[in-house]
Amino acid sequence: MVSTKVMLTGSFGVGKTSLFKQFLFSEFSERYLTTIGVKVDKKVIEVDDDQLNILLWDVAGEVSLDKVPHSYFLKSSGIIYVFDLTRPLTYKNMISDIEYIENKVPGVKVKIVGNKKDLLTEEQLEEVKSKLPIPADIFTSAKTGENVELLFMSLARKILGKEE
Amino acid sequence: MTQTMENQSSSAKELAMLGQIKSILLKDDRAEIDAIKKTLYRKEELAKEVSPIVEERVQYIKDNFRKEFGKPVDRIVEIKLEESKEQLLNVIYPVLGQMIRKFVNYQFQLLKDRIDSQVSSVFSSRGILGQIKSKIFGISSSDMVLSDLDKPIIEEVYVIQRDSGLLLGSFSRKVTVDKDMIAGMLTAIKSFVEDAFQREKQELELIEYGNYKILIQNFFSYYVSVAVSGSLSTKERDMISEKLLEFAENKMPDNLQLIDTELQNQISEGLEAFFNKDIFED
Repeated sequence: MVSTKVMLTGSFGVGKTSLFKQFLFSEFSERYLTTIGVKVDKKVIEVDDDQLNILLWDVAGEVSLDKVPHSYFLKSSGIIYVFDLTRPLTYKNMISDIEYIENKVPGVKVKIVGNKKDLLTEEQLEEVKSKLPIPADIFTSAKTGENVELLFMSLARKILGKEE
Repeated sequence: MTQTMENQSSSAKELAMLGQIKSILLKDDRAEIDAIKKTLYRKEELAKEVSPIVEERVQYIKDNFRKEFGKPVDRIVEIKLEESKEQLLNVIYPVLGQMIRKFVNYQFQLLKDRIDSQVSSVFSSRGILGQIKSKIFGISSSDMVLSDLDKPIIEEVYVIQRDSGLLLGSFSRKVTVDKDMIAGMLTAIKSFVEDAFQREKQELELIEYGNYKILIQNFFSYYVSVAVSGSLSTKERDMISEKLLEFAENKMPDNLQLIDTELQNQISEGLEAFFNKDIFED
């Protein structure tokens, strides 16, 4: 079993922690998020015959990514960048944010995730998609759990080199 | 018919004569070719001819190596060093640490000796009592004060990769919450403190809570975190540091790129062998 670090990031209130909760049973209190700005949990994922021990760093939401301590990004194998499909402000800086991430952690596998899919109709979703500065990799709903497992599986496959 | 026979006989004669002329004219060339063949086909002969040329070339390369191959070799060494920088530093780090620690310890020992000599010259009632006890038990005055306190116990040891916070190995005397998550949170706290205060090249080395102390010893690509219960004197803290350096030098693999179960088990077994005993007995 190989261990790896994955970081969950994005603006305040986009639903990162809810995605986190959908994905795993958390042993640590949420208080850590407000005290030191990060909370670490883990989940073991099975991909084909391989096991991946994912240590997931949930970083407290900030308006700008450069407010997050830069050392939190270091040595991440994967980064999940979450934005809120219902708030354009949360994806307005997507290009510079992704550039910032790729600059901090060269070669990192990034998944761009549009969350709160349950709040939009199909037509509204299509409209948002057309306005995104970079196409999202997946659209999720932390509330219903839609595509959450798929997101983490797909990232795990990407980290293990089983998916482009 | 007679005419034809005469013609044939004359052309045979001509051929024979031509052969003779050829052998006369080419005599020297043939001898030379035979000599060359002899040289080429016999190893010893060839060696005699070629060796001086090769030796001369080798000598030239030796004399002009830097000029002829300097740049590409420098580049190869540079690339190799860059590729193995982390492994190299992982090896050097504990050795340097040992040297510095030995020097600092020696200086502290000198200072302690001076303090002991000062203490022994004090004629207070406590001082006299201390000196009597010191003489009876054969230990120094300063160590006696510390001996009254609780004995320290190493409860847990974690070897953690820097930055990622991934657990490389652990030793624990009791069942705790998930060790991977402890390693991650410890790293998050460490990163937070170091980032928040932004003191360049300074790192978190100690966390205290109640009767527990978490000592952090930093290495190049990983750090070791030791949870200790009980009172910890400077001497005992030094002993832990010494032990950690010894552990790093002898038990830590150089390559920590791929963190898998095999690597974690290897490091955990090393920790068990080093810390599942009273290291303060020595």
